[in-house]
Amino acid sequence: MKRRLWISLIGTIIAVVGALAFNLATDNKPILGLDLQGGLSVILAPEEGASEADLLVIRDLVRSSLERSGVAEPDVRVQGSNIVVDLPGVKDKEEALRSVSVSGIVELRPVVNLSDCSAPITDPEITDDVEPNGFRRSTPEPESDDVVPPVPALFANDAEFLPTLDGSAVCAGPAQASGEVFKRDSASVALGQFGGFSVNVELRSDGEAAWNSLAAQCFNQLPTCPSTGTDVNGASRPGQIAIVLDGVVQSAPVVNTPVFDGNVSITGSFSQEEAEQLADVLNRGAFPVQVTPQETRTVSASAGGDSLKAAIISGLIGLALVLVFLVFYYRQLALVIIGGLAIWGMTVYSAASFVSGATNYALSLAGITGIIVAIGVTVDSYVVFFERMKDEIRNGRTLRNAAPRSFNSTWRTIWSADLVSVIGAVILFSLSVGSVRGFALYLGITTICDLFVCFFFTRPAVLLLARSKFMVGKRAFGLEVAAS
Amino acid sequence: MSRGDYIASSGPGRLFRGQTAVDFYGKRRIGLIVAIVVIVVTLLSLFTRGLNLGLDFEGGDAWDVPASEDFTTDDAADVLEENGVSTTGARIQRRSGETTDVVTIQIEEVSRDVALDLTNGFAERAGVDPEEISFSFTSSTWGGEITDKAVRALVIFLIIVSIFISIRFEYRMAVAALAAMVHDVIVVVGVYSVLGFEVTPATVIAFLTILGYSLYDTIVVFDRVQENEGKYAGVRMPYEDIVNISMNQVLMRSINTSISSILPVISLLLIGSGLLGAVTLREFALALLIGMISGIYSSIFVATPLLAALKANVGRKARRERLTGDNLRAAVIGSGVTGRVAAAPTDVEGDNDDDRDGDDTSVTIVEPAGKLLTHPPRPRKKKRR
Repeated sequence: MKRRLWISLIGTIIAVVGALAFNLATDNKPILGLDLQGGLSVILAPEEGASEADLLVIRDLVRSSLERSGVAEPDVRVQGSNIVVDLPGVKDKEEALRSVSVSGIVELRPVVNLSDCSAPITDPEITDDVEPNGFRRSTPEPESDDVVPPVPALFANDAEFLPTLDGSAVCAGPAQASGEVFKRDSASVALGQFGGFSVNVELRSDGEAAWNSLAAQCFNQLPTCPSTGTDVNGASRPGQIAIVLDGVVQSAPVVNTPVFDGNVSITGSFSQEEAEQLADVLNRGAFPVQVTPQETRTVSASAGGDSLKAAIISGLIGLALVLVFLVFYYRQLALVIIGGLAIWGMTVYSAASFVSGATNYALSLAGITGIIVAIGVTVDSYVVFFERMKDEIRNGRTLRNAAPRSFNSTWRTIWSADLVSVIGAVILFSLSVGSVRGFALYLGITTICDLFVCFFFTRPAVLLLARSKFMVGKRAFGLEVAAS
Repeated sequence: MSRGDYIASSGPGRLFRGQTAVDFYGKRRIGLIVAIVVIVVTLLSLFTRGLNLGLDFEGGDAWDVPASEDFTTDDAADVLEENGVSTTGARIQRRSGETTDVVTIQIEEVSRDVALDLTNGFAERAGVDPEEISFSFTSSTWGGEITDKAVRALVIFLIIVSIFISIRFEYRMAVAALAAMVHDVIVVVGVYSVLGFEVTPATVIAFLTILGYSLYDTIVVFDRVQENEGKYAGVRMPYEDIVNISMNQVLMRSINTSISSILPVISLLLIGSGLLGAVTLREFALALLIGMISGIYSSIFVATPLLAALKANVGRKARRERLTGDNLRAAVIGSGVTGRVAAAPTDVEGDNDDDRDGDDTSVTIVEPAGKLLTHPPRPRKKKRR
């Protein structure tokens, strides 16, 4: 019995201290939340139901969009049915925010008209041209009619008048394809053959048909995609495809060939910045569903640091006050509480490091305050235990006899009460969103650590103490402990 | 050998020695009246004043601008107007800590470009770097979603916890524990409504912590009640007496635990948010403090009397008046040990495996309990081995 207690006690201490040392040695710290170190956090939600795979695709797109804007290792993850972007400590928040605001999916719509959708407009200056890579822009090759795919029904009601980036507007027919026809992340900017910049993008093998169908309509100047003007020679120009994001026409290139073979090159009078912007739009166009930011939060680094400092300092002061009170009240037995709380603290730290590393749940302000509250619940285990021992001893039991009996009844109380907390933590964690989740995680961790420390540290420590001669003749519980 | 035979003369002394004899059940009306007053005040306030829901529940944009002497709430309003944002729906507050003041500006949702302009405008006017400004945007549906999900999680939690308590204890205890918990939430919601504190997601988390703490505290008390129920199983002990005995026995534990739980929260409130000026901590700590005090109060004055009332009409009728005064004290002291209360000094304790080392032990346990007996229980059957 005694040997088992020693094994349990020493084993626990070695395991906990070892885990802590390992975490410190490998520099494995709990990830601090945005509200503790400053940074940017965005929660994106899909507008309609999105499958797990869709969410993963969006996550990867957002991540690469951020990486392009210079954020190293952005923390983007799927949480429930939302995408959570946490960028603690990020420097250029404005730029990061722009990269994250990938709100819409890109639509490809034929341009019906440059002036008429019932509203008056100015003459648009849309001169971007589109051609397959390698084709000369000015030498479009007319193709025979047999490549023309079936033409969709006319769209009298679906045409919309959409603004363009330069402030004018065009009338665009219904969307015939989405940005999904493009290969993910394939858009890039290159120097065009005739000076200026061009944007090259690859077509997906399963998106090529949709794109070519639209391109053929425009190239052949069918009613769904009529000619919108004349070229330099006075001949009527092929139709245009409008690339639309969030209801704004990003570019409306003229189609110079009906069939594209895997590659699309958009040339025009772009500046480098404009070209890069268009490439970005085409890349994000691969979003399978529309997502909108639900919550955006930036916290300045100094405010975050202040909160962290305040929480830690006040937590430590609170802990010190509690210990002073307990030492005053329980005298020598308070040694067990101090040791137990130290072991508990180390266990919580190790567990928090491990869990936040494994699951990416940052330790937020709510988590820290949850831990501070957990101090009270943890101390309660000792109080229930010692009060019970006090009762037993006062009624004539010896310390040695009272300790195991008290522990048995205390353990029953503690696990019942703690189990309720664990149930609450599990349910909150699996069903809630946002900061509540992080809180639930740390509530669960601290409670399980409490049970662990209570059984594997406090029990052997008190039982061994009760058997030793250490307590004999000392005052504890306001009673003098007698030799057994 | 120092023994606990004598009764301490002073109140604190008796408390310390576990010799209190407070008739908690007799004072149940106090708990009832307080609970009714609290509920009425809360409901009145909810109907007339409502809750001051923060940005995250209504949607909109908010800024925290570190404020120097020359950046006032009026300046903030000016910046809003310069950018063509109406100040009528805006909420502009100055929140001060010891080291830093923060001006918080909350407006309805605006476009991202306007929001950026405003951030830069505030930074310029306050003379700080835009990076120093904390900004948050919440869509109007998001707060609702958080709340919906939290409420759904809560309902499921309550159902499962009720089942757990019903199995581990009994369903009446589940009812009483949940009633105490609802009481605590109403108290906190009432305080928030009456004083007009802003409800933020941090507050919601504080509410959840309070729920957990309240249940925890109640279960610790109920566990003792259940243990005593078993202890007096052979004796016709009225339930009110069992409740009173249990309450007095756990009184010192409740006080110690409360002090240990509340000290860190007070530290958080006074030092964390007061001296160090972490304004975000304040609301959280305040909700926690109120909720914890209420949680401790409700386990003693709401949950347990309610349990006794629920159990009053169950099973055997009590033959005599409730124990009070010294009789109660004797019972409190006498049953503060493990094992079943025995009828007579000759009978040894129930599970007496390693209990032989002090002959006087059983006498001490039995002696006060012996006074309670109306008639001796059936003699123990001889063990056949």
